[in-house]
Amino acid sequence: MIDTHVLATAQRFGSRALTWLHAAHRDGLGRIPDNTVVDLATPNDAYKPLGELALAASVVLRDGVAGPAGTRAARELLDYAWEQLREGDLLYERQLRHVTMSDPLELYGHFARAGYRHPALDDLLESIGRLRAAHAIEIQGNRRLAIANARRLIGLSHQPDWAALTAGTWLGALPEPWAVEWEIAYQNTHTVFHLTDWGAHPEGLPEPIRDYLHDWLPAWLDIWLEIGQWDLAVELLMVDACIGEPITGRQGWDALAAVQRADGLVPRDANDPVSDDREEAFRENQHTAVVAVLAGDITLARALGADAAAA
Amino acid sequence: MPFAETSLREQYAAAVERVAGRTLDALRGGGDPAALVEPDAAVPRPLLAAVRLLGADLLAPSLFGGGEPDPATAALLAEARRVVPAPAPPSEQAALVIAWQDWAAGRLLVRAGHAEAAPRPAPLPGPEDLGWQAWSVRMSQLSVLALPTLDGPVHDAALAHALALARGTVRSMLRRDLTTAARLARWLAWTEAEGRRSRLDLEPVLDRIALAGDGSARTGLELALARRLLDRARPSDAEGGRAA
Repeated sequence: MIDTHVLATAQRFGSRALTWLHAAHRDGLGRIPDNTVVDLATPNDAYKPLGELALAASVVLRDGVAGPAGTRAARELLDYAWEQLREGDLLYERQLRHVTMSDPLELYGHFARAGYRHPALDDLLESIGRLRAAHAIEIQGNRRLAIANARRLIGLSHQPDWAALTAGTWLGALPEPWAVEWEIAYQNTHTVFHLTDWGAHPEGLPEPIRDYLHDWLPAWLDIWLEIGQWDLAVELLMVDACIGEPITGRQGWDALAAVQRADGLVPRDANDPVSDDREEAFRENQHTAVVAVLAGDITLARALGADAAAA
Repeated sequence: MPFAETSLREQYAAAVERVAGRTLDALRGGGDPAALVEPDAAVPRPLLAAVRLLGADLLAPSLFGGGEPDPATAALLAEARRVVPAPAPPSEQAALVIAWQDWAAGRLLVRAGHAEAAPRPAPLPGPEDLGWQAWSVRMSQLSVLALPTLDGPVHDAALAHALALARGTVRSMLRRDLTTAARLARWLAWTEAEGRRSRLDLEPVLDRIALAGDGSARTGLELALARRLLDRARPSDAEGGRAA
């Protein structure tokens, strides 16, 4: 039985982060410049963050535990992000141009989760899925899982070999837990997110990996909290929610709730002060807000058994 | 004096290294730690302080050899405990740690005919009270209890909370605190010798600390004791199983 203190903290933490994200986008931050073309010289500036926004908002809608205000905010954010991507045309054109590029597919997956469809893009992705080239690109194990999960969400006919993909990840090898590094830790969180589709299917995680995380997640969370890597710590709490019964307790939630500002911003780390410039503060901390929304939402949804809504 | 040019602190640190190194040699079959001192000569104070600090570990070579504490080494340890006062504890918790360290040495000295057994100290708070992080650090300070033939509530706690010890080991490794990690790995090796399979693979941990640790004889001694405990965990070893 999950601690009600944890639940209350997670709920407040996530909903305040959602409020912050909503207010920022309402005020025009994070927009794609009007003259953007499909080649996107700087995809990390606005395009990929919009995908992350769509991810958070679509999971909030999927889980249905956010309450009326949170649900409305999530819906508005999804509408806004979809409109920014020209109702999917930008994704379609980018995918049409770049056959083996995976980001249009991955972004589209989050919209598809919430019922936003682009029929021409569906056909295009189905066609690309039949190419050997699409499956031969050389990428990290956790990134392969991201693509497989996007295909699953969109409903493409290509069926990945989940076990083989899992075996190709760091977690799949059940490595010495003291050998983890900051970047590996992020890869591990994503392996869990994609295998479970962001907490919808905890059973998607093979039991040895679940046991492994049960053993070592508390140690990882502890050391990254100690050095103030808040963004990673939030991701680790989300992992804790995705694997079933959470194991890390109050430590992380209390520490993160303490660093969240009154307006809902969660600083990405303790090293860099949050900029006084709102746009810069948004740019640097929007990812942490996205994972804060997700971590709060998934923790609550798992505890309330609301995963049934995902079916 | 051999240490005339060095500070007092350095003299004591060097003495700890000498005593730990000698114990390590003894563990590998090279005589006993009492060979550090000339028979009938006055033992230098830093050496006595080092002997007191290492405590029960001085007698590890005889215990792993399957015998009773070596008489000459036991006499040296008893002498050190008579002459050198116990360290002043900075806190109540630290006092408890020192009391348990003394308890371990006292238990072995009683068996060697030095009747000075201390009463059993109060139990330590467990991980449910301290959190697994602080508890495991406390246990690392008590690694001297992880020796064959010693048993008590601290040992029971180690067995009951082996996963907390393993998490503490991983945490210490990641914090580059390999001294604490070595001591916790020794506890885990002790639990393996008691027939409890550790959730953490210990061989790579010991290798890593040997390569990346501080290289001191004191850490080397912790690692060597851990390895000897792991040897006992192997089913082929007839000496395995919990000691009385």
